[in-house]
Amino acid sequence: MLDYVTSYLHSNVTPGQAGNWLWSLVYILIIFAGVSGIVIVMNWGERKALAHMQVRLGPMRVGPHGLMQPIADAIKLLTKEDIMPSEADKPIFWMAPVWVVMIAFSVFIVVPFGPTHAVTDMNIGILFMLGVSSLGVLGVVMAGWASNSHFPLMGALRSSAQMVSYEIAMGLAVVSAVVMTSFTGLGAYGIGDASASGTLSMIGIVQAQAQQHVWFVFKFFPVGLVAFFIFAVAMIAETNRAPFDLPEAESELVAGFHTEYSGLRWSLFMLGEYAAMVAVSSIAITLWLGGWLRPFPSVHGPAINIPFFWEHPELGVVDFVFSFAPAMVLFVLAFFCFFNAARMPKHPLLKIQTMGLYAFGLVLGGVGLILLAPPVRDRIQDIFWFVFKIACFMYMYIWYRATWPRYRFDQLMKVGWKVLLPLGLGVLLMTGIIGLSPEILAWLKGVV
Amino acid sequence: MTDSTKSGFYEETTPGKDQTFLDANELVLNMGPQHPSTHGVLRVILKLDGEKVLGTECVIGYLHRGVEKIAENRTYAMFNPYVDRMDYVAAVSNGLGYCLAVEKLLNVEAPPRAAYIRVILAELNRMASHQLWLGTHALDIGAMTPLFYTFRDREEILKIFEKYCGARLTTHAFRIGGTLYETYDGFEQEVNNFVKFVTPKIDEYEELLTTNRIWVERTRGVGLLSGKDCIDLGVTGPVLRASGVKWDLRKAQPYSMYEKFDFEIPTGENGDTYDRYLVRIAELRQSLRIIDQAVNSIPAGPIMAKVPKIMKPPVGEVYVSIEAPKGELGYFIVSDGSTQPYRLRVRPPSFVNLQALDKMVRGSLIADVVAVIGTLDIVLGEVDR
Amino acid sequence: MSIAPLLNKVFMVDLIKGLKVTFKYQNPNQVYTEQYPLERPAIAERYRGLPRLNVNPDTGETLCIACNLCATACPEHLIVVQSERNPLTKRKEMTSFSYDVSRCMFCGLCVEACSTDCLELSQDYEFALYSRDGLVFDRERLERGPEPTVYTR
Repeated sequence: MLDYVTSYLHSNVTPGQAGNWLWSLVYILIIFAGVSGIVIVMNWGERKALAHMQVRLGPMRVGPHGLMQPIADAIKLLTKEDIMPSEADKPIFWMAPVWVVMIAFSVFIVVPFGPTHAVTDMNIGILFMLGVSSLGVLGVVMAGWASNSHFPLMGALRSSAQMVSYEIAMGLAVVSAVVMTSFTGLGAYGIGDASASGTLSMIGIVQAQAQQHVWFVFKFFPVGLVAFFIFAVAMIAETNRAPFDLPEAESELVAGFHTEYSGLRWSLFMLGEYAAMVAVSSIAITLWLGGWLRPFPSVHGPAINIPFFWEHPELGVVDFVFSFAPAMVLFVLAFFCFFNAARMPKHPLLKIQTMGLYAFGLVLGGVGLILLAPPVRDRIQDIFWFVFKIACFMYMYIWYRATWPRYRFDQLMKVGWKVLLPLGLGVLLMTGIIGLSPEILAWLKGVV
Repeated sequence: MTDSTKSGFYEETTPGKDQTFLDANELVLNMGPQHPSTHGVLRVILKLDGEKVLGTECVIGYLHRGVEKIAENRTYAMFNPYVDRMDYVAAVSNGLGYCLAVEKLLNVEAPPRAAYIRVILAELNRMASHQLWLGTHALDIGAMTPLFYTFRDREEILKIFEKYCGARLTTHAFRIGGTLYETYDGFEQEVNNFVKFVTPKIDEYEELLTTNRIWVERTRGVGLLSGKDCIDLGVTGPVLRASGVKWDLRKAQPYSMYEKFDFEIPTGENGDTYDRYLVRIAELRQSLRIIDQAVNSIPAGPIMAKVPKIMKPPVGEVYVSIEAPKGELGYFIVSDGSTQPYRLRVRPPSFVNLQALDKMVRGSLIADVVAVIGTLDIVLGEVDR
Repeated sequence: MSIAPLLNKVFMVDLIKGLKVTFKYQNPNQVYTEQYPLERPAIAERYRGLPRLNVNPDTGETLCIACNLCATACPEHLIVVQSERNPLTKRKEMTSFSYDVSRCMFCGLCVEACSTDCLELSQDYEFALYSRDGLVFDRERLERGPEPTVYTR
């Protein structure tokens, strides 16, 4: 039994590939907790960041600077009365939010947080992700149908039409990234042996980027960038976020597919929406932004040997410097906590909040110190960079929501079909042409 | 069968046997009194064909408070505070129109110092109204941040109002015959500071919206209203000016010494929502110009004309209209010689502008209805009185 | 179309301009919120808040001479002044003064009409109550003046 547990620790594959169900379960639980944690942080972060962009403060009362607001929201939603329309289709009404959450979380089976840190690595990983996330549309339609009312139905149909049409553009961008994995040449324009096999597996795609010493967003510049841009726009439309949030906007006539849902059911929809945001962001990160790779993954610098502090002399000084990034980020966060705690007004009512903020800062600082220790530092790099990139994407989501108005529905469809689809085809074509340019030139030489 | 609803509006095509509401061609949808976008309690009944709007009908009266009837039972000076409550967003101009009307009835004129103070407050009030309009209109279209920026800038105007007359919203700033309050210490300084503060902020609103492709796509070509239609329907204000008609009561029939100031009348070309947006932004800048000129040249002198304590205007009637931020605000007062008016009728600009909704919205999509209601800049307090 | 608008369109210059504006406002010193009730706003002197009756600071007697001008001037007729004639000084003295704040629109006409410095609208704006009874101010409440709320939580 103990062998079963420890045998996995020496392997270099994901638990799914190793066939170790215990560790797969552990990884699933960790990912579930992690994504839920990201959703909770996003709840707070969205309200605070949005508020600061709108020259106001956001939640300040519930905990120090509103840090306990997600807990208060969760308690409120859980204790709300569960309302179901009398004529609603009960099984489907019940099923819809469950379906949306299930699909949103199932996608994370193949998301790699490191070379072996995924639940499993299917060799059709990206295809699995796109396919499963498409199933989420069914949940939306079910919600609209089961509510038995015009507005949710119209909102659901609109939302599903929007999601389906932007998936085509997403697919084309993804295919162009997959094509890029089949090259062996190094650098942004390196082609090498184009007949080397590409891969659909998520870990394989990131390893291809590591091998080619370039993030795919810079490959065949600007082709990779345009492909990333297409995917970025499509992923915002896919998750019904601004500026494509007409189906769930309150000021429009149709209030959206989740009108009739309240309390826990509504919170499941929100959970599913944020989880879907994280999921499509992780696709974008894996495909174009180098997954768990740090910036400049191939620059290693001269080897240095600092015993105890750096036990990888084969990796070099640049790696050494970048390895402090996780701890630095946490120290910066801890510093913000202390700074704001010192700035809090000296009112007797706020004493507990100030102490809480100091304590939170201490906790963050403590975690940062732990991340400085060499054994932890080595292992935490991949996970840190992946989560850091997800955090950047989440911030961009909030930034877009604060800044831009929303598209009308026909304009939204126009962007999806008339702008992104031709661009996607063009990008795919360009990737192929540039990638096969040696063969094409040779053929041309032969012909001429 | 004499049914009063037989305007032809409610005759929808009823679905046949074995058909559901999804099969009928027309759908009657109620954008009810409680709605985040109808700027008050306005009920709009839409007749739709899928997404296209075939016709609208507005049901108003949810905010009717009988202001005109109240006027018949109050003396002229007593009625002054009630007037602010009609267009509660821009209360100062309501007060200005009423005071000018009663002054014309009494045949007195406010002294120049009072006229300048009135102009400054009225233009600040125009800016506050347009800023609130901009914030809420942008919010309806989906941009949620300009709301907070415009409200922050509007807050500065309301602070000036509070320091001057004691209230931010229902200002009761003017009295019949002039103004009651002398300018407070630091009034000129604060107004000048405000002008300096807000000029770059208007540029920021423009940066966020004017060239933004999403904004342009949402507003260009939406809610077209030609100049001729405007004149036929009696629409006034920025809506009229954006349709190309250069008509502004401050230039055409100047009141309260507006002829002393140098400003322009911005007009638009197409009469769509985008032009109305541009016209109102330009009006913000022109108001700043007027305020700048006025506050640096307030003449000294009395602030109140010789008005009897108990006002008994001679028998007669008067109609005085001013250029309120939303259009032509007119007061028609019939006096029978006693201390209370015999009849007071208010011509609210929003009420008349709302009639244009049907013409502007036919053939558009539902999402445009919200944008068009926003661009008309209606305040239900004025529409219903 | 010419090259500059085309480049603007392709590189989404207009959208990025908007992003820059919102990014700039994240600076914490741009925040415009007042954290009520910890930070109370600064109220202007002329603010028309709750009414109060002033008393003579030396003698403690009311300054009201029961001329009834405020009641006459009020558009809503919500001031009721009762007085009786003092046979010794041959003057009217105010006995009771009732002011219905629930119907008051804070227009200030009563303050303008008051012939002494007695009735005034103070800067108090915190008068939320749990029942309507407390909203008809009698003389004692009016002379007490503003009672700003102290928040304990």
